[in-house]
Amino acid sequence: MKQKRMLVQVLIYVLLGAAALFCLFPLLMALMNSFKTNRELLTNVMSFPSTFNFDNFLRTFDKMNYLRSLGNTVFLAAGGVCLIVLFSAMAGWKICRTKTHLSAFLFGLFVFSMLIPFSSIMIPLFRVVLFLHIKNSLVGLVFVYAGLGVSMAIFLYHGFVKSIPIELEESAVIDGCSSMQVFFYIIFPMLKPITAAVCITNALWIWNDFLLPLIVISDNKKYTLLLSTNTLFGQYSNDWTAILSSLILAAIPVIIFYAFLQKQILHGIADGAIKG
Amino acid sequence: MKKKTKQNISMLLFTLPALIVYAVFKLIPAISGIYYSMTDWNGLGKGFDMVGLDNFKEILSDKYYWQSILFTLKYVIVMIIVANLIALLLAATIESRQRAKGLFRTIFFMPNMISMIIGGYMWMFIFTKVLYYMADNWGMTFFDKSWIGDPKYAFIAIIIVASWGSVGYLMIFYMAAFQGVPMNLKEAASLDGANSWQTFRHVVLPLIQNAVTICIFWTLNAGFQVFDVVYALTGGGPGRATQTAAINIYEEAFRGNVRYGYATAKSTVLFVIVMLFTAIQLRLMKRKEQEL
Amino acid sequence: MKKIFGLMLTACMVLSMTACGSQSASTTAPAETKAQATAGTTAATTATAEPREAELNIMMSFPQYMDQWETYCKQFEDKMLAEENIKVKVNLEMPSSDQYESVLQARLSSGDAPDLYTLHSNNIATYYKAGNLTDLSGEALAGKIYDNVKATVTQDGKLLAVPIESQAWGVLYNKDIFKECGLAVPETLDELKNVCAVLTEKGYTPFMLAYQEQWVPQLMTALTLGGKVSGEIPDWVDRMYKDEGSYAEVKDIFGPIDLIMQNGTDRAMETGSEAGSADFANGKAAMYVQGTWASGTIMTTNPEMNLGVFALPINNNKADTLVNLSTSTTLAVYPESKEMDLALKFANYVLDDKDSSALFEACSFNPLASCHTFTPSSWVADASAYVAAGRSYQDLVLPQAVTDEQGKLLQEYYVKSITQDEFISQMDAVFKEANKQA
Repeated sequence: MKQKRMLVQVLIYVLLGAAALFCLFPLLMALMNSFKTNRELLTNVMSFPSTFNFDNFLRTFDKMNYLRSLGNTVFLAAGGVCLIVLFSAMAGWKICRTKTHLSAFLFGLFVFSMLIPFSSIMIPLFRVVLFLHIKNSLVGLVFVYAGLGVSMAIFLYHGFVKSIPIELEESAVIDGCSSMQVFFYIIFPMLKPITAAVCITNALWIWNDFLLPLIVISDNKKYTLLLSTNTLFGQYSNDWTAILSSLILAAIPVIIFYAFLQKQILHGIADGAIKG
Repeated sequence: MKKKTKQNISMLLFTLPALIVYAVFKLIPAISGIYYSMTDWNGLGKGFDMVGLDNFKEILSDKYYWQSILFTLKYVIVMIIVANLIALLLAATIESRQRAKGLFRTIFFMPNMISMIIGGYMWMFIFTKVLYYMADNWGMTFFDKSWIGDPKYAFIAIIIVASWGSVGYLMIFYMAAFQGVPMNLKEAASLDGANSWQTFRHVVLPLIQNAVTICIFWTLNAGFQVFDVVYALTGGGPGRATQTAAINIYEEAFRGNVRYGYATAKSTVLFVIVMLFTAIQLRLMKRKEQEL
Repeated sequence: MKKIFGLMLTACMVLSMTACGSQSASTTAPAETKAQATAGTTAATTATAEPREAELNIMMSFPQYMDQWETYCKQFEDKMLAEENIKVKVNLEMPSSDQYESVLQARLSSGDAPDLYTLHSNNIATYYKAGNLTDLSGEALAGKIYDNVKATVTQDGKLLAVPIESQAWGVLYNKDIFKECGLAVPETLDELKNVCAVLTEKGYTPFMLAYQEQWVPQLMTALTLGGKVSGEIPDWVDRMYKDEGSYAEVKDIFGPIDLIMQNGTDRAMETGSEAGSADFANGKAAMYVQGTWASGTIMTTNPEMNLGVFALPINNNKADTLVNLSTSTTLAVYPESKEMDLALKFANYVLDDKDSSALFEACSFNPLASCHTFTPSSWVADASAYVAAGRSYQDLVLPQAVTDEQGKLLQEYYVKSITQDEFISQMDAVFKEANKQA
């Protein structure tokens, strides 16, 4: 009996490992090929690089203006996420707790637009951006992302708030807390798991977003990482080693960020799961 | 009456920041978009005419558009099943492991850390070079299929890459949901004699309904608007064999006869279709959710 | 209490928005207003007067040449300061070439047009009708452009854009393989068939097929239609625009097309244009229907390659075997540019007598004007020889929807999901639709 259990456990790990390999395969390939010269890469994709020249990385670091692009992207992502989390948690919580017709209407209003594809609002959105004179402004772009991202986040917070017992809030109100205090001291901490999810998903979305910054930002000093990477795609030929190495460089901060945040989720969950 | 008004005002205050940015950057452009769908604007020139509902009438007989919608529908159905099953399975498996949780979480989430445009290109490399290399040199001849040229295999390739790219995202929600399941409920169930499968099915699953609803909603929505993955792999080809609705609209707006107004009309129709599907889906699934 | 908090929050938000809004507006405003205010006084500027400040916005679609053009813009800035006493700041925007058109359209349609922008010559007609092009016929640059190149950027007798990338092209071939098999350049369709037979016998694959991207199969129609129409039915294109022609008349373009498809590499649908160029450079095939713009990838992959160009024969009449002369990237001037003077000066500078050659050579562009004095590469020389002998034709100007559809249908034809007759009826329908939309 115990042996069977062991076997099953080992099997599960093996399967997980295989799945993980499958997941990483393209990334490993990109990594391997980023060390080759363009000539080697074009000739044979599967071969091991003849020398591990870090030249490509240095070249790309320079071509992409890595540090500057990184700074821009971090600013956008951090700013966007902060706004989205703050605005959406507030809105999502209140909409869920208020059981009036107006709240149902507002909820629908926020959610329905999630279904609108970006391409159909792209040009009108650009006109709004021009009208507000925030074209080419990273700060303005942060607010645009907030506007685009609150829908999904409100949907998520709305759903999650349902799992928080309303008695907690009621007793706080009886104790004399205002709505704001209830929200910041009681509710918001309990939303940690879903806040983490919202943070990660929105940070990633903004980090890797392409079309919106492309249209709004015309000064290449304000380019994000992905925009800088994209300039490496030529019309008839691509500088693949540069592209792949820029991809790796662009992904490293995200991996670090996620690995770090991942621990926070654990802590947050540990607190929350002891409830009930 | 007065209490409700008070409640509404309080709610409006809390919602105001979100509402402002949302209205300015999403609603207004969306409404303008609908306006454009009733013109024959080509996205370039200054002048255009209002054509009322002509664009919509034309859509009814646009066979390529409906073909692309059907193809997208096929894609959506397969994706909902495949991606959610895999994500659920992975999330459950990882969360129940004793060790290496963090490692696996990071690995499976990695595809989401890179843009799907780049991800699509890398998989394109694999389907057009690596698999053939393996088929020719390592004798794995089952890889020797026409992954881009044959619509059947191209569809499979698209599903593989799309799942690769979305499973990580869905996993996060499932994992958050699993961790919201109180330990004592699970313990109580196993004390009562349930094995892990029964515990899962009767205790855990109902409690993560919320996450399941969200994930299916997201897959449905993202699926209908799929563009990057397909465009990078096949460009919609051969011909239009793998053209999704979003690609059809994009080409209408920026290639071919460059008809931005008509393309926006098509976009609006797509939006209505998606809205119908998600409304049905949410209705069906919200009923199952439990509010503690 | 809570209401006040809420109000404060929103007030802060609105304030910060307007603050950052006015901040970015204010940085661009002074430059513009100053330029406009002093525009009237630029007439009489002496060497001791303050240089007027101006900004020039340029948008281009080839980020791979970013360095070369940034240097060139800097040279322009210096020149303007020295010669005209104007302190110019050139804002050069180079989004990727894939998304270029969407971004350009977004800018043009929202009144945020750049002063100068690159444009594919196929789009000149559309942009001209939309009123987005300036007539450059009276400029100094007009006289320098080679006549046959000039024709590709002229409409209604007006020179509408400065040509930048222009090429004469046909079929690329590997000179070494041909020499090894003792083959001469084919001048007729029968000779081409023979070339294929000899190559196959000696173990080489005749043609490189790379149909993953829809524009590559379209090159075959560009060549075959071009040759056929220029040689045999010169009024076909005009009649098609009037809904009076049919693709049935040019059905025998499938002669060479079938020959190419049947004597080509495997897995064509899984080979992209760049991969095809790389494989061709490595000898996987002896010939490649591709333009000379692929030479970049080819020479990177195999710097020792001996690359040549020959005109694709479409029938057995040697007089119809011609190279295609086309211009891809051109530079247009926006008619409502606030710095029209400067914009025109820049346009002229692109074909500057002194500096243009260096720029074109640095970007590996082909010479296209009298001011270009550098020696072109060998394959360019091959093609130019045809042109010099009068054996060339202007690339046919077809509606973009038509060329896109040709690419798509040829993909389907290759995977055998449509027949030649279906191709013909489809193309006719698409052409008529394009005429209707025009």
